[in-house]
Amino acid sequence: MAEQDFSLNLDDLRPHHAEKRHLSDYFMPPRHSFIVFHPDRCTGCGACEMICSTRNVAKIAPVSASVKVVRDEKEGKNFSILCQHCREPLCLPACPTRAIEKGDDGIVRISRLFCTDCGLCTMACPAAAPIKDPGSQEIHKCDLCEGDPLCVKHCPESALTFTRGKAFRWIKGLRWTVQLLSFLLLVIVFVGTFCYFKTGNVSFACPTGTLQNIVSSGTIVLVGVSSALALLILTVMAGRLFCGWVCPFGFVLDLVDKITPRKIGWPSFLKSRMTKYGVLAGAVGGSYALGFQVFCTVCPIGTLCRSYGVQSFFKSAELAIVPVLASLEIAQRRSWCRYFCPVGAVLGLTALLRLIKIVIGAKMCKKFSCIQCAEVCPVGIIDADKLREGLSPKIPMTECIMCMRCIDRCPYDAAKIRFRWQKAVPGEGRI
Amino acid sequence: MNPFQPFYNMKIGVVDLSASSADVIPLVQEQVSRYLGGAAMNSAILKGCQDDALVFSTGPLTGSFAPASSLMTASFASPIFKRLCHVPFMLRTGPDMKFSGVDYLVVKGTAPEQSILHVNHGKIRILPAGNLQHMPVPDVIRKLEKAFPPFQSFIITGPAVDRGISYASVSIGPNGSLDKAGLASLMAAKNLKGIMFGGTDGLPFNRDNPHQGKELEKIISTDKNFKHRGFYSVLKKLEGGKDAGKFLKASRKKDMACYHCPSPCMTHVRYSWHDPRNKEMQNSEDGLLLLDHTGYVTLAKKVGKNILPALQSCLQYGIDPAGVADRLSEGRTLRECLNTIDKIVSDNPSGMTEVLETYDVFGGGIPPILKGDLWEKRVGLAMVLGVCPIFLLRFPQITDAALLSFISTREDDLKTMREGLSSAIDFLFTA
Repeated sequence: MAEQDFSLNLDDLRPHHAEKRHLSDYFMPPRHSFIVFHPDRCTGCGACEMICSTRNVAKIAPVSASVKVVRDEKEGKNFSILCQHCREPLCLPACPTRAIEKGDDGIVRISRLFCTDCGLCTMACPAAAPIKDPGSQEIHKCDLCEGDPLCVKHCPESALTFTRGKAFRWIKGLRWTVQLLSFLLLVIVFVGTFCYFKTGNVSFACPTGTLQNIVSSGTIVLVGVSSALALLILTVMAGRLFCGWVCPFGFVLDLVDKITPRKIGWPSFLKSRMTKYGVLAGAVGGSYALGFQVFCTVCPIGTLCRSYGVQSFFKSAELAIVPVLASLEIAQRRSWCRYFCPVGAVLGLTALLRLIKIVIGAKMCKKFSCIQCAEVCPVGIIDADKLREGLSPKIPMTECIMCMRCIDRCPYDAAKIRFRWQKAVPGEGRI
Repeated sequence: MNPFQPFYNMKIGVVDLSASSADVIPLVQEQVSRYLGGAAMNSAILKGCQDDALVFSTGPLTGSFAPASSLMTASFASPIFKRLCHVPFMLRTGPDMKFSGVDYLVVKGTAPEQSILHVNHGKIRILPAGNLQHMPVPDVIRKLEKAFPPFQSFIITGPAVDRGISYASVSIGPNGSLDKAGLASLMAAKNLKGIMFGGTDGLPFNRDNPHQGKELEKIISTDKNFKHRGFYSVLKKLEGGKDAGKFLKASRKKDMACYHCPSPCMTHVRYSWHDPRNKEMQNSEDGLLLLDHTGYVTLAKKVGKNILPALQSCLQYGIDPAGVADRLSEGRTLRECLNTIDKIVSDNPSGMTEVLETYDVFGGGIPPILKGDLWEKRVGLAMVLGVCPIFLLRFPQITDAALLSFISTREDDLKTMREGLSSAIDFLFTA
């Protein structure tokens, strides 16, 4: 009979806990508690270090604190080093004894029982937030004082503020509501109104369709052109707001994205955002050559508006276009919008004249420990690598669909809408 | 029961540079009860020492939760004033000295070679520093950071004193200090380049202290001086200060505070300039932490708009700007100013030790923002208890009773301490 093995290993003592996901997480992810540092307010007095050390070692010893204030004598700037309780902490897998755990409350803690003070967590952390005490050689790391941080209470300049994250993402709720209403209006109620709509003296027309109409007919109808201007003026005023908030096909793509969260990937040789301009050129050229609006026959937005309404239910072969193009969503989010949509191409060109832009503030943003904005961006225009390098990414507004997910998601209020001519970004005001 | 027990390590470091020996001896409780600490205790220690001894001290409140508890005092027989002087040092030197395990440091004798002291864990080491001679202050700092054991703060002398200039000044960091009494000369005479404080130990505290600190902050937050902060807030109260402050308008500014100070009186400035001595050099941007109010005003009167580059040059040489101002004539160009400063350091012309008006028993660096007896009482209180004198001058509503209550709230202790404080302050001016 084989001898039974009673020895314990690390997996028995400290088993890995799989992250629990609930259905509600898809709609409202758990709140993320952390401390926000405002460098403009910090005077470098070190009150945070003092009070923090009293909790860590029961005496005033700033070097034993879990927060560190660093003063740049040349630049005249103060920085704080403190744990951001990342959503996916790098210190956690780096710990060889699994002494670091992330609780259900989002707080990343070090268990003194298992910690060997090896310092690997400090090396793994991009902010070097677990701080080695030069006296006792122990590792100290912020645990948010279990939800009531002392440093925040004792900072005389309110340079540290505690936030539990956003309780309600109102932009998300508003966007889904507007998208749903737009879908109902354009697809179900006013069938075909996206392509052309006229009531009394007011008319509306798809700018891409109008462009094809002009080249195919060889005549410019001023009423048609002015009808197309509505969408173009909206784009100049507010960027490609139509794509993110109104487009019914975009709404369908967002729904498909919800049911297919895992993506199979898009071939790299097809990853060119210029393709959509080629499609637009092809549509215009084809219309000119063939004498009719070529792209409109396969346009997913037009098809959706024309073929799925109550009056035109089960209409012809156009029905197949929407599911075929929507299936691209399993490869990458908003693949159609990123690479092929000629309507988006026209709006993108118009967005060159936009009045507003989205900026991500260099100082407020915690960059390497967060990058949530890059993760939620449906068109993938926020450069996560730039964020990891500690730089503010430049957002190409011709590609941005103004869904404002980045603004809604950013826990640090670093992503903001600014006028195009405004140079200051959040947290980068004059000191 | 000794009420000072949690506030002191109860240790004095005694360094005999001639014998290359360093001992740490216990602090006599009776002495503490009689003189409380700081400059008063220094005077008592110096009474029993040889003439050229140098004493560095902290007060009972240094490093504690009392607001602006940043003071370290150096007491010595000033070679300039030919009397006992007490020079205050702020930023973090005081707390770091205490956190290094000694409350007082007595330096006697003359080292056989250029030396530097390292204090940590209640131990003192004498290290050779011959390679630091004649180096500009920023270079010395860089070298110390690379070559010597880790330290939190330090005081050092610059190249000016190596060339025998009597009005050279010691530096705490790259930004000078309030030393105008010839401490640097005395250190140079002892072959002592500087002192580094490891600051890795801690200090016990009373449980009520953090709460008391916040209460005092609340009291002063209603004062108009609390809102008017930064270097200029003190500068404008000095004679000629408002005119001198105009030269700061074009630079970028950020207010900075010393250890646990709720109302900063220092300002970091960033300014762009071109060194006229070097034609090949492009415009460069430099930063400077302004902490010496009287030195700034005195130099600004002579150099006008060239104040910031001229001040930077003084600080690099480790020379008192007020002493340099005495040598400069008005209305000079930047090139002439900088060349004169260079010439002062290289030639060390005689007749440069005139005593300026503001020089006093406290080294001449504390700005006269209150007049007469009140100034003496407030500064005396600060120098004994180990609180920043400029802070107490700005906020007269912080009484001695409020500060003493950090040490003990017992009636009999308070009564004894108030009597001791009164006699200690008197002793300061009579010793």
